[in-house]
Amino acid sequence: MSSEEVEKNPQNCQEKKLEEKSSKKKISLGEWYDKNYKLLLLISILFSVACIAYLVIFALKTGDIMNKDITLTGGTLITVYTDKETDLKVLESKIFSEINEPVVIRRLQETYSGKQLAIIIESKADSNILKASIEKNLGIVLDEKNSSVEITGTSLSETFYQELIKAVVLSFLFMGIVVFIIFRKIIPSIAVIQAAVTDIVFALAMSNMLGIRISTAGIGALLMLIGYSVDTDILLTTRVLKRKEESVNNRIKKSFKTGITMTITAISVIIIAYFIIESSLLKEMFLIISFGLFADIISTWLGNASIVKWYVEK
Amino acid sequence: MKITLRIWILIIFLILAVLAIYPAGYFMKGVIIKDIEANSTAFNAGLTTGEIIKAVDGKKINTIEDFYSSIADISSLGNNTRKIEITTNKANYIFLTNSNLGLSVEKIPFSKLKAGLDLQGGARALVKPERKLSNSEMQDLLETVRYRLNVYGVTDVAVRGATDLSGNNYMIVEMAGATPKELNDLIGKQGKFEAKIGNDTVFIGGERDVTFVCRNDASCASVRTCEAIQGGYYCKFDFAIHISGEAAKRFAASTSQLQENITSGGKFLSKNIDFYLDDNLVDSLLISADLKGKEATEISISGPGYGATKAEAYENAEAAMKKIQTILITGSLPFKIEIVKLDSVSPILGGTFTRNILLACALAIIAVAIIIFIRYKKIIIFIPIMITVFSEILLTLGIAALIKWNLDLASIAGIIAAIGTGVDDQIVMVDESRSSKEYSLKEKIKRAFTIILGAYATVAVSMLPLWWAGAGLLRGFAFTTIIGITVGVLITRPAFADIMNQIVKD
Repeated sequence: MSSEEVEKNPQNCQEKKLEEKSSKKKISLGEWYDKNYKLLLLISILFSVACIAYLVIFALKTGDIMNKDITLTGGTLITVYTDKETDLKVLESKIFSEINEPVVIRRLQETYSGKQLAIIIESKADSNILKASIEKNLGIVLDEKNSSVEITGTSLSETFYQELIKAVVLSFLFMGIVVFIIFRKIIPSIAVIQAAVTDIVFALAMSNMLGIRISTAGIGALLMLIGYSVDTDILLTTRVLKRKEESVNNRIKKSFKTGITMTITAISVIIIAYFIIESSLLKEMFLIISFGLFADIISTWLGNASIVKWYVEK
Repeated sequence: MKITLRIWILIIFLILAVLAIYPAGYFMKGVIIKDIEANSTAFNAGLTTGEIIKAVDGKKINTIEDFYSSIADISSLGNNTRKIEITTNKANYIFLTNSNLGLSVEKIPFSKLKAGLDLQGGARALVKPERKLSNSEMQDLLETVRYRLNVYGVTDVAVRGATDLSGNNYMIVEMAGATPKELNDLIGKQGKFEAKIGNDTVFIGGERDVTFVCRNDASCASVRTCEAIQGGYYCKFDFAIHISGEAAKRFAASTSQLQENITSGGKFLSKNIDFYLDDNLVDSLLISADLKGKEATEISISGPGYGATKAEAYENAEAAMKKIQTILITGSLPFKIEIVKLDSVSPILGGTFTRNILLACALAIIAVAIIIFIRYKKIIIFIPIMITVFSEILLTLGIAALIKWNLDLASIAGIIAAIGTGVDDQIVMVDESRSSKEYSLKEKIKRAFTIILGAYATVAVSMLPLWWAGAGLLRGFAFTTIIGITVGVLITRPAFADIMNQIVKD
């Protein structure tokens, strides 16, 4: 739809007048947006390119695009439920010297009190050897009550990883098909998909930067992001493409108001859950989803909005 | 406020969900019978699992401790008997006893919702068959494993098959309260038992060859001798079995060829009978010379248990006996299998966890209320949003209870994700209903639904691959998300639209 058509619509004229009356600054915001939306698009593209570049460099350095935990590499993960605080670095080097295999140790804390709930130990060493070494160094006999043990075979973990990557690809494919069916137009559909890609690469890049080790559940969270993050994109694209009333800018602005409320609500709920629910699995999922939702603000309102604006005004 | 058809539908579904979840445990007092030993006093008196014990000897029972202390004196009765009266929700049982009742009880579950393994603790094995199995082969395997676990005496077990995106088959076995060692012992190997004389197989495990296995009867099955050996202790178990006529004929044929040797211990045949479990020799026994060429149907099976202490050796011998008895009864699994993932989860954090989820929900509701208030400056909008959020949680849990879905951590994450989507959708509806005046409210809601259905479809299809990926271990996440958003779109969203309609009109 051309801008002339918009002008012809008396309803839109009225709206515009109303806006002029209510605030002069808003007009200048609209003008500024008209001038600079391609720049905003560029920022969004640079943002996602930077994330992808980071992931490529990360992959070249480490051989993979993420830090995988033991569920994806194979090995043993032992969670010891103890409030006895130990120096993890010392423990790590002691166990390493005994079992001759790299070992990674984390602490699970109650976020609001800082109380230690558990120590999580991961290694590729044989589970019995690892267990014996932990028992010796912590001075605790491990049983089914005071510890959880997760043993994943190497071949299975490889299959798991491939499976989950396949799932991510399929998810994208299915989501892309649905988006295309909804809008029946290539460019707006690509705009939605690029937003989901940006969200995922940012979530992954952030996880890598913070040294988060991704498990099968973490990849589940990435899948969730695919569906979750496109909510706002569908809102935006539907309003801009399928609605005829008001100006394009106004439709974007109103979508933004709705969409940002949605995203802020979702981020707040997820961050609260992250701080309160004491499960390393859920914490990992919530963290990844909140990274993705944060990126979604950029990818939707700088990226996708600019693309659909460009598309309808061309 | 007018209650429209859509609101009625929501109300009806909510009632159905509550009935499905049935939080009766909250109102009921007593303890529930979890397990009853076969042929125990309680079993013979007619008590059944699932009955709720309300009183013992007229004294009310509120906790598990109450129950056990009320029957504590029975163990010291010796040869005297005493009358015991147990009142359950079904009947009043009065009987005489002088021995352990054979009852194990637990707290009445709060509701029909089932907690997953990672919340209640237990062991899980992901088992991969050596080759891809057809559907019916998989069913055979699952049946045999169920039978084996059942014979072993595990009641709280879930065995299911799973196929991943690449078409690999897996079997997932989950046992509440079990140890990974038990799980590994029972299903870690195929469990192929063979009794051989030389190279001739006399009989194998399973009902075709083995017609009776003596169990839980000290006169024909027990750990008999224990002695100190270098570096620890050694105990020996033995138990009697009966073999079929066919197997007995094979025994006769094999032994008829053998020579008789005279040793200091007596007259024996020149070859032993060897017991193999999964191709490993368990024990090798001398065959008495008078059995030569005879169709012996009663055979004694024996084997060792080792340990650092005598008690440990005794325990290991008992465990080994129980395992071989189970395998002899159930036969070997039809396919070679391998445990590719073995997890044990401590129940220790389960309680803290449930409390924290409730706290998180409360804080999340406050956060949503604040955001809605800042955005719309009207608290009235918050009320229908909260009603739908609660409705969606209730409906999702209702469906989970109805189909006996085990709610694990991934399922909870899914519910949280679905709630997030639900709140998002309602924000869309509120904003649409407040949009330009040229459309009727009905039209506005219709427009909101275009967006909501689009968003619904993308979330649903993007979660779908997770149903299969990675042997379906994250299936709970996909399941609750999809159920949550589906009840949202089909049931609560239409009702919300009608409630919104009335609020906007007012």
